[in-house]
Amino acid sequence: MQPQTRNHLAFLDRALLNLLEERARLLAEQDVSAPANLEDLLLRASGDFDPERLPAVFEAIEKGTSPSKGGSR
Amino acid sequence: MILRLWPGTPEARVAAITAMLETSGVRTSRSPEMNRPIIATLDKVDSELAGRIDALDEVESVVHPVGEWRRVDSSFRDGPSVVRVGGVPVGGGSVVVIAGPCSVETPEQLDDAARCAHKAGAHILRGGAFKPRTSPYAFQGLGQEGLYLLKEAGLRYGMPIISEIMDAAQLPAFLDHDVDCLQIGARNMQNFTLLKSVATARRPVLLKRGLSATIKEWLQSAEYLAAHGCDNVIFCERGIRTFEPATRNTLDLTVLPLMQQWSHLPIMVDPSHAAGIPGLIPPLSRAALAAGADGLAVEVHARPEDAKSDGGQALLPGELAGLVADARVYAAVGGRHLAQQLPRPVGRPTGG
Repeated sequence: MQPQTRNHLAFLDRALLNLLEERARLLAEQDVSAPANLEDLLLRASGDFDPERLPAVFEAIEKGTSPSKGGSR
Repeated sequence: MILRLWPGTPEARVAAITAMLETSGVRTSRSPEMNRPIIATLDKVDSELAGRIDALDEVESVVHPVGEWRRVDSSFRDGPSVVRVGGVPVGGGSVVVIAGPCSVETPEQLDDAARCAHKAGAHILRGGAFKPRTSPYAFQGLGQEGLYLLKEAGLRYGMPIISEIMDAAQLPAFLDHDVDCLQIGARNMQNFTLLKSVATARRPVLLKRGLSATIKEWLQSAEYLAAHGCDNVIFCERGIRTFEPATRNTLDLTVLPLMQQWSHLPIMVDPSHAAGIPGLIPPLSRAALAAGADGLAVEVHARPEDAKSDGGQALLPGELAGLVADARVYAAVGGRHLAQQLPRPVGRPTGG
């Protein structure tokens, strides 16, 4: 892998992490948990990311960002 | 120059270095920074004394700001400052949205706007009570009654308030109505008499950029405030006058990274006044946050067509909600976060 590609991936991963942490922060502020609107997300998915894996990804995100499941700070 | 001493330098040595300068006729100012002693010199230091100071073991570095300012220079602190507006932190990674109508017009209009702003997730309520208008025949604001209505609405929705002060004689009214942040408008950015008076109130100040002001002039105005007792200054870029007539002003995003290099103070962006066109506000807001803005100041009105001032540039409530949601994403991608709204007081009824 080109160093530049590795660099870009590192930045994308950091941005994803920042967004996940913001999701957790928002839910913690309200002390609620909320599943993603998977139906809407699947409609918006371009297919570059395997759509079949999206439900599992967002299930993990919901668990990780839900204050009641200890996912947030 | 600004002397940055090593962390842990004993206070006795700080006092000795300060005395070296003061006895040579050089006035000094000590930074409130807790991490290390930082001393700014307010008068010219001759080269012989500067050489002796620079050679001291306690001095880690000597910084020469690019302009005549000292207290607002980035080297006067160890990192970005956080300015608290009625409990809402601005800067240092905390991004805020100021929203409200251009002018306070009626209790009902203001309550509508405050409710929309709060529901959308905005943190601070804005509203003009003393309105500087280009035409002497245009609506000039409700004056003190406007400040009263603004404070009442802010208390109802748990939002600190900000309003523009035009004249030092208005200061008692602003303090009587407990205005949380005093706004200095673009036209008054270099009204040094007003700046000195406002600084004595020791309230946070939102300092808009003059429409033809250079960055250095803007920083000098902030230095005026700091020199007279107000360290809690928030810059606000609101567009500058250029040759381009398609928009009301030209939003100068160049200032964001530059000001963050030169000053420790937070900087916000007012895309409403910059563009003058509601459709341009969301993309300009995203651009501002991507460029590092510590917040946005926008106008919102439930019925812009009925507004007595600047209705043409106001966002609709739904548009404001989208803008705040966008702000959360753009702040997060950049490793910052949208500030938390203050809790809304229990038991305060809505309605004008």
